[in-house]
Amino acid sequence: MDYLFSYLILASIFVILGLSTNLLVGVVGIFSVSQAAIFGVGAYTVGYALSNDIMGFVPALALAAVVCLVLNVLITLPSLRVSGDYFVVTSFGIQLLATAAFTNWDAITGGASGMAGIPTADLFGLPIDTSLKTLILTACVACLACFAFRLVMRSPFGRLLMALREDELAVAAAGRQVLRAKVEAAALAGVFAGVAGGLYAVYLSFIDPSTFDLDASVLLLTMVVLGGARTLAGSIVGPFVVVALPQLLSLIDLPTAIAASARQGIYGVLLVAFMLFRPQGLMGRKI
Amino acid sequence: MASDQTYLSVKSMSKRFGGLQALNDCTFSIDSGKIICLVGPNGAGKTTIFNAITGFLKLDQGSVFFRGNGLTGIGPQKIVRAGIARTFQNLRLFGDLTALENVASAVPNQFGEEPLGALFRPIHTARSQRKTRETARGILEEVGLADQAEAFVRNLSYGEQKLLCIARVLATGAELLLLDEPTSGLSGDALEKVMVLLRRLRDEGRSQLVVEHNTRVVQQIADEVLFLHQGHLMAQGTPEAIMADPKLAEIYFGGAL
Amino acid sequence: MLLLQLLINGLVTGSALGIIAISFSLAYSTTRIFHVAHAGIYTLAGYVAYALEKSGAPDIVGLLAAMAICAVAGALIQSELYARLAQRRASHLAVLIASLGLLAVIQNFLASVFTPNILPFGSAWRGRTLSFGGVTLTEVQIATLVICLAVFPCSLWFTRRTVLGKQIRAVASNPFLAEITALRPQRTFVIVMAIASAMVAIPGALVAFDFGVQPYDGTTVLLTATIAVIAGGIGSLTGAFLMAMLISVLQNLSLLVISGEWSVGVTFLIFLVFMLFRPRGLFTRR
Repeated sequence: MDYLFSYLILASIFVILGLSTNLLVGVVGIFSVSQAAIFGVGAYTVGYALSNDIMGFVPALALAAVVCLVLNVLITLPSLRVSGDYFVVTSFGIQLLATAAFTNWDAITGGASGMAGIPTADLFGLPIDTSLKTLILTACVACLACFAFRLVMRSPFGRLLMALREDELAVAAAGRQVLRAKVEAAALAGVFAGVAGGLYAVYLSFIDPSTFDLDASVLLLTMVVLGGARTLAGSIVGPFVVVALPQLLSLIDLPTAIAASARQGIYGVLLVAFMLFRPQGLMGRKI
Repeated sequence: MASDQTYLSVKSMSKRFGGLQALNDCTFSIDSGKIICLVGPNGAGKTTIFNAITGFLKLDQGSVFFRGNGLTGIGPQKIVRAGIARTFQNLRLFGDLTALENVASAVPNQFGEEPLGALFRPIHTARSQRKTRETARGILEEVGLADQAEAFVRNLSYGEQKLLCIARVLATGAELLLLDEPTSGLSGDALEKVMVLLRRLRDEGRSQLVVEHNTRVVQQIADEVLFLHQGHLMAQGTPEAIMADPKLAEIYFGGAL
Repeated sequence: MLLLQLLINGLVTGSALGIIAISFSLAYSTTRIFHVAHAGIYTLAGYVAYALEKSGAPDIVGLLAAMAICAVAGALIQSELYARLAQRRASHLAVLIASLGLLAVIQNFLASVFTPNILPFGSAWRGRTLSFGGVTLTEVQIATLVICLAVFPCSLWFTRRTVLGKQIRAVASNPFLAEITALRPQRTFVIVMAIASAMVAIPGALVAFDFGVQPYDGTTVLLTATIAVIAGGIGSLTGAFLMAMLISVLQNLSLLVISGEWSVGVTFLIFLVFMLFRPRGLFTRR
């Protein structure tokens, strides 16, 4: 039962993250391998705020959202100024830089050994101290995020973003501000990632840099690719399948030494195979 | 409109791409309410002029005035708002969106075109969205594509895509349309349809600057012709006068440089 | 003296980085694919050399074998992955994701077979040092510097003077035109990828002789190299090589003031500064 809870909680957190990545990669078409970094900033913000008793869970989550909003806009800005491929470099660079910061900024992050003993969440005095309560909390937030994604995709804003992915010049010719739309999409994606990070921190009560490294960004990309770009269904299916994968892998008795590498390698295989044979993912549109 | 004010005037535009002088001290002005065709051999700078007027290209030198207001150095978005919108030679439609959505994407002043409105005032957004779609549907009707409203662009015929380009530029509400080869690749009924549409739009008050290669089309739709050669305005006049000039015909058909 | 030593170290790693940069630049300016998996090829080279050394072959054999195997791998990546994606009209983003996926496959395959740990080479020459003027270099470092400095002019000569090199440049400047003439870009792409992969195998093996092999290091190395490519001006091999030297020297000198963990940060800072002030690179002609 505990195992099922933990699967559902993790999956719903990754649904929020998957939506964030889908918004940038699937909808706007920006290549990003730095979403895990933003996720990490959200987690460390909440973890630090709660561990040091600076504020309650709800304000900390809001703070994480704002910090990640600002940060995601800042790191997306180069993609507005420079052409697509340069942004690949920027994105990798930001991810590696963030990992360096998480690992070396000991005073805040606890360094390589991570941040342990993050207090459990509370909602206006109601402690979220059991798996069931945590599941309800994360599932509710994930549902909210799904609802928000749906609203956005059906709004003129969503249409603008889809148009942006196809042809920025034509969007400008239609009298729209390309830059502004991209910044807004990045801001929204940042909020999603920050909230997901905060939930992750209070759920596990322990975070360390390895959760937010380049591999994690690849994992997020795998979720979007597997589920499929630009659809809500895809953004839900992707995380639920990908989060289950490690458990399935543990059934085939791999030596622990290579289990992590094998898992990450399988994500790679999935990325290549889907791009070759099914770029629309399981239930999305072509990336 | 004050009569002493030219509608659109372009003053000594120059632009160099590497070793190529695309525009060379190009000056002309046009009146409103007309279809003005921009003709000239390939590489004469027709599309470059479009790019310069609509703010997609920074000029090395020169200026653009619309109704007496300077447009130089202003971004594409503001120029659309000022009332000039363009189409592209290579269409640049949004292939994964429907015809209706393509048109809707150009309708100005929509509520919920930013995340806060879309998220926190969904009902208002939906209402605005309905209105936009109605507007867009009306425009599709105007160009004769009403029955294809829900079709994805990539499934439309080439002729329909050309019409859709015009529909999209109409949706911006601009009064001056810059159409880059609206008839190229068309023949027969499809060609006729576009010509009829352009004339009707002019009669409804939409001024048009049209890049056109087909001399028959020029003769049928143009009120005035601008003849461009090597980035410079060679002649301006009625289609008859331009066509009758043997020197221009030599440049145009003889390919003489 | 420390300053001089760091400077020389920077030049050694810089020359290796320079070859990685120009090999990437060659592949990128021709195929227009941001070939992230190039980092995997670079890593593969080190492991080929490592496996051969463990089976008793001399290091020169390891280097040559690495070049050969990487050339084949690069050609296969182009013909079996990128060409197929192009055939299916995959978006630029899709190709990028596939390349990233392939990088993960290569790195983690190597990690699964050889463990994710750093594996040092046993060869004697990585310990033998030469000192002059207060600067100490290992024989491996000297070999790296000499070989990479020699490969650089060779690559310039190849692209400028040989028929194949000129063909490659023709395809690079206009793949569409090349398609309708007799140049057959896809075939040229395969050759270019093979050459670029063989090239990147040289620093791949040499750096491995010095520092040992590790499956995941290649990503940061390639990132640094691409920064050199961009800052040097896309398409300029000389620019890429010199920028790689400069970045590497600056990285090494920065060790005087900050700890090594932040060297990614330094590189990245250089990149951002460049993007802000010279987005088209140092060596591009207008």
